[in-house]
Parts: sequence; structure tokens; C-alpha cells
Amino acid sequence: MIVVTFATEAGMMEAASDVRRSDPGAVETYMAMEPQDAAGGSILPAAMLCGGIAGGLGGFLMQAYATTISYPQNVGGRPDLSWPSYIPTTFELAVLGAVVTGIAGYLVLARMPRLYDPVDESAGMRAAMQGGYVLVVRPADGARARDVLSRHAPIGIEEVAE
Amino acid sequence: MTSLPVIAPDETAQSLTERICAVALREGAPAWTPVWWWLAFGLSLGLLGLGVVAVMWLFYAGLGIWGIDWPVAWGLDILNYVWWIAIASGGTFISALFFLLGVEWRTALNRLAESLTLCAALCAAIFPILHLGRPWFFYWLFPYPNTMGLWAQFRSPLVWDFFAILTYVLASILFWYFGLLPDLATLRDRARGQGRRVFYGVLALGFRGSGRQWQHYRSVYAVMAALMAPLVVSVHSIVGMDFAGSAATGWHSTQFPPFFVFGAALSGFAVVLLALLPLRSLLGLHPYVTERHIDVLGRLLLTSSLCVGYAYVMDAFATFYGPDAADRTMFMLRAFGLYAPVYWGTIVLNIVFPQLLWWQSLRLTQPLVWLIALGVLTGMWLERFQIIVTSLARTQLPSAWGQYTPTIWEWSLLFGTIGLFLTAFLLIVRLMPVIAMAEMRAMLRGMR
Repeated sequence: MIVVTFATEAGMMEAASDVRRSDPGAVETYMAMEPQDAAGGSILPAAMLCGGIAGGLGGFLMQAYATTISYPQNVGGRPDLSWPSYIPTTFELAVLGAVVTGIAGYLVLARMPRLYDPVDESAGMRAAMQGGYVLVVRPADGARARDVLSRHAPIGIEEVAE
Repeated sequence: MTSLPVIAPDETAQSLTERICAVALREGAPAWTPVWWWLAFGLSLGLLGLGVVAVMWLFYAGLGIWGIDWPVAWGLDILNYVWWIAIASGGTFISALFFLLGVEWRTALNRLAESLTLCAALCAAIFPILHLGRPWFFYWLFPYPNTMGLWAQFRSPLVWDFFAILTYVLASILFWYFGLLPDLATLRDRARGQGRRVFYGVLALGFRGSGRQWQHYRSVYAVMAALMAPLVVSVHSIVGMDFAGSAATGWHSTQFPPFFVFGAALSGFAVVLLALLPLRSLLGLHPYVTERHIDVLGRLLLTSSLCVGYAYVMDAFATFYGPDAADRTMFMLRAFGLYAPVYWGTIVLNIVFPQLLWWQSLRLTQPLVWLIALGVLTGMWLERFQIIVTSLARTQLPSAWGQYTPTIWEWSLLFGTIGLFLTAFLLIVRLMPVIAMAEMRAMLRGMR
């Protein structure tokens, strides 16, 4: 793979676009903050909504089952299915379900935890989370990709074995 | 509106990274952990040790070592729980609510504020378990299949509270840790020694700042913030309902949930100021935590103080407007009886002193602001004392009136949790980035 370091975010993004146009290989950007023009949405908010609904619904049904079927108990003459009093616990479990789904989903989609990755072998990668801009290309045609990348004035280009 | 800068004008992403990482990695001069940190840590460990002894003795001897008895069956244990959980709210209000509002001053504060939330929530969670009397059965609160065929009583606010605290503590930990991932990765890549690289590397879970990782990061963070904001309101509302759900004099009021949310905001902003002002000097955070931040926090403290003042007035109004003679008797005893110094101390510390924050020159006088914040935390503790103790000491039946005096073991436990709070916070300050670097970089990019 080719690891290329840039001085600016714009330079890295332009190079990434050019390489993507000219080469079918995989291209990934690395930087220490959220990209300014982040491409693509995320499915995770929808997943968190589902997790929240599941948590809340599960919580409500659990309470309804416990107080009507498993262990009905007369408390101050209230009906067994006294649903308004289930709302706080339902809400808390809905939030818990959404949060846990969000974190678990993120770890899956971001492919984490991954303590070792071949890109770590590159010296340039250590700059990525310290304010640098690093592009990693796994080209189909290495010579052509290097040629395209060199036109964008990179700070450094490294070849790293996979 | 003031135009105080939110960050020093000559700061860059690189200078930010160097300065914040230097605190955690001890780079540059001095390369050793500063003396003030060791002194504070030693003191905190001493207090924590006192708390450990108090808990051990409690486990051995039982609840009889505390001053609680009939009619005051809730004492410093519940008081401290309510006090700590309110303190915890500040981080969530700043980190989640103001994230949603998109204010730029929040970025430099959220990491410290969230860390304070975490430490305070940890202290709060201890008390209800110790209060159970048989704390080894705390898991009975979980709804789990059991041979007794029993369930938790889902119609009780005390069970709602269990779920609220469980969710709040877990969500706070996850929110804090998730926000920390990019900065842990920065520390991993910047650390020199193998041990430090492994330590931060494992904690960073392999975050490398790839496009794929960032693509989902912001979405999850934003949704979590949107959930945390109502969550913190629900937690304090439910804490209020712990009291309002009872028929005790002075508690059975529909205003308790918002009243407790106001009190939580006041405590939360106060503890952020209390920690921020010394740390700003000790860690050299002046370029990022500017007078703008102190000014804004002063305004928030004043606003929440006014909200709490409104709740105090409404409490008195509802008592005298309502039909219950026992409520009126209890209120008069609260204001003019044995515990009157507690009541008036609450009013002075929570309402009167914060009025000084109307003036910007006073808001920017840091020692004064620090003292007002300390006063507010003390005042909030006194407020919980008067809510819990005076209500229970003066029930509807005069024949059941009583008094409550905390024992040395209850005080030891309070100071022990202060030790736990400080120990955990000092460790975070020493080992973690105290400012959210990734968010600050994005903010700097937007300003240039």
C-alpha cells in the first residue's frame, strides 16, 4: 500500500478524489478531526432509534408481565396494569437501549477494536492523529497511483508491505 | 453581550496538541508530575481511606452506627446521594445540552465537565446501596428470574430511581469514553515509552481517524448528546419523585421534579467552576479556558440560582396557600426552629451570594467566583439536609416528632466520598487529555 502525507486537508481530499477517479483500489483518509466535507451518512442514528424502541418496548412489556401475570399485587387499589407508572422505567431503558446500540454499532462499523493494522507500520501514520493528513491507497496499478499522487505535492510518500 | 475571545488568538491545532498532550504525557518541562498534584492526591487518598474504614465498619456493625432512627430514617446517606447526583449533572448539561445548542464555548469545557460528572455519579451510586442495610442483596433491584418468584415494585419511584441511576451512570461513562477515543489515539501516537503507547493504544481501541471512523463518529455522538440531555432531566425529576411520591410533610409536591432539576443545574455549574478555576492556572489552560468561559459559567450559575430561588418561593407559597396545617407547622419549624440556621444558610449561599454575579467585573473576579461556587455547593448540601431531615423530624403526628444528629461514621462516609471524587478526578486530570483536542481542532478550523 502507499501511505502519503499532506500538509492540508484540502490537498489530501483532492488527491483522494483524483486517485479514486483513476484507480479502482481502496482509498482511505486519516486525520485528527472530523473531515470538513464528510461524505456519506450513517445508518447508526436509525439503528439507535431501533435500539431505543426495543429497550423501551422490552422494558414496558417486562413491567406489564411482572405486574399483571407473574406477580399481580394490589398497591393502593391501583389496577394491575397501571401503565403510567411504567413510563419512567420505560424511558430509561429506551435511552439505555439506544446508547448501547449506538456504541456497539459504532464498534462494528468502525471495525474496532483493532489494535494492529498494517498501516501502523508506516512512519507517516503517526502524524495522522496529531494534526497531520494521511492518505492510504491500496492501488490496482501502483505506478499510475503514485503518478497521480505526486501531482498533489505530498509531504511524503511511503510504500508499506501489507 | 460581551465579546471576550473563546480562545487565545495565536493558538493553532499544533500548539493545542502539544500543550494538552504535555499534561498527560509529562512532556517538556517539568517532566515529572507536579508537587501540587501529589499533595492533592495524598490528601484525597487520606479521605478515601477514611471512607473505606467507615464502609468496613458499617458492613461489620450494621446501620446502627448511623444516627438514623424513627422518624428520621433517611439521613446523610440519602442526603449525600442526592447531593452528589446533582453535582454530576453539570457535565451533562454542558456537554450534551450545549452541544445541541451549538455554542462554541462548550468545546473547551466538556471534557473536564464530563469527567466531573463521572466522578460524582460514582460517589452518588454508593450511597443507595449502603443505605439498603443489607447491601449484599442490592441485586434484588434488578428484574431477574429468581426462585423467590419476586419482582421489583415497578410502581415505586425508588425503583424508577434505580433504573434512572443505572442508565445515567452507564450512559455517562459511554459518552465520556466515546468522546475520548480520538484524543486517546493522539496520546498513543505521541507517547514515547512503550508502556505509555500500549496503555493509550489499548484504551484507544484502534481509533486511527480514518474516514470510515469519522463518518459514523459524529452521528453517534450527536444522537447520544440528544439522549443525554433529556436523560439528565429525567434522572433529577425521578430523584424529586423519590420524595414527592411519599406522603411526608413538605415532600408531597408536584413541583419537586423541576425543583430538583434546577438544584442539579446549580450544583453542576458550581462544581465545574470550582474545579476549572484552579486547574486553569495549575495546568496552564489560559489559552483555551478564557475569561469568556468563566463569564458564561458565572451567568449560568446566576440563572440556575434564580430558578432555585423561584422554587424556594413557590415552596413557601404552596405551603401557606394549601390546606395542610402540618405542612405549615413543619415550614415554620424549618424556618424558625431547631434547624433554622440550615434553612437560612441555604437561602444565603444558594440565592443571596450568587446575585453578585449580575456584574461582569465580579463574574471575572476569579477568587470571588470560586468562593460563590463553594458556597453554592455547601448551600445545596444544606438544602438537602433541610428537605430530608426537617420533613422527617416533623411528621403529621406530634407524638412521632424526633430529631436527627449524624454520627462520626456518617460524616466519615461523606468525606470519604469527597476523597473518592478527588482521587478519581485527579487521576483523570493526570492521565487523560483535559480538553477535547479533536473538537477543539475542528473549532479552530471553523474560526480560521
